[in-house]
Amino acid sequence: MTADMHEKPLLEIKDLQVGFRNGKDINPAVTGVNLTLYPGQVVAIVGESGSGKSTTAHAIIDLLPGTGEVTGGEILFDGEKISGRDRKHILALRGSSIGLVPQDPMTNLNPLWRVGTQIKEALTVNGIAKGKEADRRVVELLTEAGLPDAEARARQYPHEFSGGMRQRALIAMGLAARPKLLIADEPTSALDVTVQKQILDHLDTMIRDIGFAVLLITHDLGLAAERADHLVVMYRGNVVESGPALEILQNPIHPYTKRLVSSAPSLASQRLTSELRAEVREQAAEVAQEHLPTQGEFGEGLDLIVEVEKLTKHFELPGSRPWAKKYSVAADNVSFGLRRGTTTAIVGESGSGKSTVARMVLDLLEPTSGIVRFDGVDIRTLKSKEEQLAFRRQIQPVFQNPYASLDPLSSIFDSIAEPLVVHKIGERDSQERRVRELLDKVSLPSSVMTRYPHELSGGQRQRVAIARALALEPSVVICDEAVSALDVLVQAQILTLLNDLQSEMGLSYLFITHDLAVVRQIADDVVVMQAGKVVEHASVSQVFDSPSEDYTRALLDAIPGGSIALG
Amino acid sequence: MWWYVGKRILQTIPVILGATFLIYALVFLRPGDPIVGLFGDKPVSDAVRAQLEAQYNLDKPFVVQWLLFLKGALTLDFGLSYSGRPVIDIIAQTFPVTIKLALMALVVEMVLGVVAGTIAGLRRGGLFDSTMLVTSLLVIAVPIFVFGFLFQLLFGVKLGWFPPTVGGDASFRDLIMPAFVLGLVSFAYVLRLTRTSVIENLTADHVRTARAKGLGEGTVVRRHILRNSLIPVVTFLGADLGALMAGAVVTEGIFNVHGVGNLAYTAILKGESPTIVSVITVMVLVYVVMSLLVDLLYAALDPRIRYA
Amino acid sequence: MPDTPRPGQERFVASLEETPLREVDAVNTDIVPESQWKEAWKRLRTRGLFWISAVLLFGVLLMIAVPGLFTSKDPTMCDITMSLAGASEGSPFGYNLQGCDVWSRTVYGARASVAVGVFTVIIVALIGSVTGAIAGFYGGWLDSVFSRVSDIFFSIPLLLAAIVMLSVVNNLFPERNFWTGVLSVVLALALFAWPQITRQMRGAVLSVKNLEFVDAAKAIGASPRRNLLKHVVPNSLAPVIVTSMISLGVFIVAEATLSFLGIGLPRQEVVSWGNDISDAQVLVRAGDDLHVMFIPATALAFTVLAFILLGDAVRDALDPKVKK
Repeated sequence: MTADMHEKPLLEIKDLQVGFRNGKDINPAVTGVNLTLYPGQVVAIVGESGSGKSTTAHAIIDLLPGTGEVTGGEILFDGEKISGRDRKHILALRGSSIGLVPQDPMTNLNPLWRVGTQIKEALTVNGIAKGKEADRRVVELLTEAGLPDAEARARQYPHEFSGGMRQRALIAMGLAARPKLLIADEPTSALDVTVQKQILDHLDTMIRDIGFAVLLITHDLGLAAERADHLVVMYRGNVVESGPALEILQNPIHPYTKRLVSSAPSLASQRLTSELRAEVREQAAEVAQEHLPTQGEFGEGLDLIVEVEKLTKHFELPGSRPWAKKYSVAADNVSFGLRRGTTTAIVGESGSGKSTVARMVLDLLEPTSGIVRFDGVDIRTLKSKEEQLAFRRQIQPVFQNPYASLDPLSSIFDSIAEPLVVHKIGERDSQERRVRELLDKVSLPSSVMTRYPHELSGGQRQRVAIARALALEPSVVICDEAVSALDVLVQAQILTLLNDLQSEMGLSYLFITHDLAVVRQIADDVVVMQAGKVVEHASVSQVFDSPSEDYTRALLDAIPGGSIALG
Repeated sequence: MWWYVGKRILQTIPVILGATFLIYALVFLRPGDPIVGLFGDKPVSDAVRAQLEAQYNLDKPFVVQWLLFLKGALTLDFGLSYSGRPVIDIIAQTFPVTIKLALMALVVEMVLGVVAGTIAGLRRGGLFDSTMLVTSLLVIAVPIFVFGFLFQLLFGVKLGWFPPTVGGDASFRDLIMPAFVLGLVSFAYVLRLTRTSVIENLTADHVRTARAKGLGEGTVVRRHILRNSLIPVVTFLGADLGALMAGAVVTEGIFNVHGVGNLAYTAILKGESPTIVSVITVMVLVYVVMSLLVDLLYAALDPRIRYA
Repeated sequence: MPDTPRPGQERFVASLEETPLREVDAVNTDIVPESQWKEAWKRLRTRGLFWISAVLLFGVLLMIAVPGLFTSKDPTMCDITMSLAGASEGSPFGYNLQGCDVWSRTVYGARASVAVGVFTVIIVALIGSVTGAIAGFYGGWLDSVFSRVSDIFFSIPLLLAAIVMLSVVNNLFPERNFWTGVLSVVLALALFAWPQITRQMRGAVLSVKNLEFVDAAKAIGASPRRNLLKHVVPNSLAPVIVTSMISLGVFIVAEATLSFLGIGLPRQEVVSWGNDISDAQVLVRAGDDLHVMFIPATALAFTVLAFILLGDAVRDALDPKVKK
């Protein structure tokens, strides 16, 4: 690409301000965004949730949700001011000049119309093609977006598509009228990493072949750096730093950008993390050994604290006839172990069966066959209530969704104290002392005790969930995608907390995740799962440095920004 | 799909059995001697009484009576009313009138409710929306017979637009006013349902995507908001036919329509058990069939629903 | 990549003063803790509709508690010679056909109508939420049994079923006073109205019981019973509460309809809006003295309206979508 100094910018945003009206007040969401994008360029806006990145994108095509409005600054497209113009003007731009690929492929297609029909709409309304010709064009567009067997696919409904296929359809729709600019709002954040890579790679080829500019909105710095020429970093409604992508990554200047770069799991320095991890492990193993005698109420004190043997789970599905039963195999002959004081990560994409395994280890789900041994004891042999409670005291979960893992009607105190109440540990006074202690452990002020979940952020709720899990002093904690829903900085914080707690209390973790990038920061052993089966089981260094399976390699390759060398 | 229909039909059997049993039990508990009612004050000889008791199965235990009724009902033989006419004849005479009335009410509530609800939802918070909300609340809050009398007085007696009472031979025009009154309450529910549904869909992600394609507001509303919003409304309407037929008890009384509602009401007051049980059985059947139809219609409207 | 950035794309770093850095995920210390119910109550207080319904309900409650505040006449002291006499001192709306004071009967009529509504809703909500919660939470054969039984009661049209039921009760117990009269209407309505709440509660429980906090409680070792009562039921109650408030109004209308049909509350023993409206139908057919029907009808409509508005306002206050 040669720099043409005389070329005019395609999109210019000057000091944009956007607010949401709340009665008479306006709550500002974007307080000053400047951005320039040239034809054929990929510019990325990077930021955490609430930074105003999506709001900026929606302001361009005047599709701000609810009471949002542009309160200052201007937006120019192709040299012409488009902000504050009448609806007819912006309607003429939508689709034909500026296309949109929205965030969530599951909710962005109308479930009641065939996929082809929905793409055809974009062609007819923008005067590209009509009738039979439009139908032909739809098939071409879907093929172009990388959807095989496009002709049949066009006649299907969205629910017959997988997430990745829907996102391809949405890309085809966004590009149907050949816009000069495509706004891609987190186009792949709802997808599995390998699918994400396929789609972004394909988008790259299309940019080359068709020639359009992309404004990429993403929370993933690594992904942005890998795909964009120019980066704009947003924080709390402002642009804090912008410039050439690589330059920003290698030499971040604003403290916020520095934070982002150092926290992004895919970019984190390999050497540093593995050293840190070794320290944590050593300490944890020591503490765990010390605690062995006091944990005598359950188990035999084996080094292999959790052992999973040939675990299989079938789910029954309704067949085409009442008597024809079908099964889906969620977990197929899964075996692995967790050593005391270490972390074993189970990595897999959606549908790999990793959460099913976690639920079976927690004894929340009955396996079809196979054995889970906790410290040498087969957990299916625990019959009496006392035995079961003793087992529960040893193993506790932290779940994925910070918005659903705490009872919204219970105060934080009630949530953390519930294990103590159920196990009849202590009186109200000692329980309160214990809750304070636990909150302190997860670095939350004890003043949050009287609060309710909706008054805390996602990260803080996860801390509360961790505190609840630690209340019974378990030896094993199962983290089921415990950091997946969090912003990068918060995610890094929680990972550090988990590491600290492990070395301090000698905990063993079973860490379920779809994100190989975080695995290096927390795990010692890795179990890679695909379609219910274990495909690779090895140490972290083996998996990262010399993966033996193709699938593991594909997962590693798909980590966005993984290949970028940092200064 | 046919397996699903089969399963659903099987499921309706306990419902029909249970419902008839329930009604039979209730009617059975009602004190009073039907034979005495039949003859008024005249004395009844023991022989006649025994013969009548045998004819109406009154001499048999309760459960046997119920089973005999079911057996007859299978062949559409609902027995004789206490006046000696076959119940099926009475139903055949009154049922078409009520069906006509209920269907007309259904059309009224559907057209008015959907149109007003859509406009109200699209212009949420506006004058039309507020007016419609108040109207719908009033319609629900004021007993329907008050409206009935008012309409009768205003449009029937004072203005003379419609006949104030219908009588034996019900023509389409005769039934307009009763149908309107009958459909009023459901109109309010349809309006509220449509409005909520439209408002919900207005902010749906796929609607924003449709706008981003460059579609004009009219197309967005027609193709992406209305169709999605109408699915819950259709379910309501389907299930409502049965309720309308029951509601006809009041409306038919006010306008003197000779339909099933009127029949059921007089039968209940007189304790005419064969007629009561038969009429209610027919209504339960209507409900059961309609809810099956609604399920199938639902699948036709929403491609995500596939019955296995 | 161009070596010299294009105009507008030069390296830019905002000054730290203009974009100060916050601590990552700091706890906001200004928050005063409030439960969701408390928050909902706060939102409720800001709604005009809620206050309209609250004022209306307060008025009705006052009529029930101290009718003497509104009228000095006895609703049952009727004098046929006063039939349809016009308004006079202490009788703002005159007299009805039987020569009873219209306004006084309207004031005293609140008791029976509201009693029917309140007691029916209590019974329906209790049966409905218990059966719905058990069916949804335990599933299996319990679910099949409860669902099938509720289907049976649901398949018979409520109004017809209530008429049959009342005709039976009226014939079994022809002598009724105020309370037995109210009780029989309540039972007739409640017996066939509970399945609606059962279905709603079952649906709510089904969606709550798969949430992660329920799993977390199971993992702690909480018994199913504790889980159901402590976590699942409280989180499923909101829609049932809203429906109950709206149904309360609907049941009051249903009572009036039954009384209109002549088998609701006993005419001699109970002063009720339904009976008075029904009695006035003769007048309306003639087209005169419409107010004899309108006064009790308006009182009834406002009461019902108040409950429906309250239900609507509570729904809006509880709706998480409005929250955001």
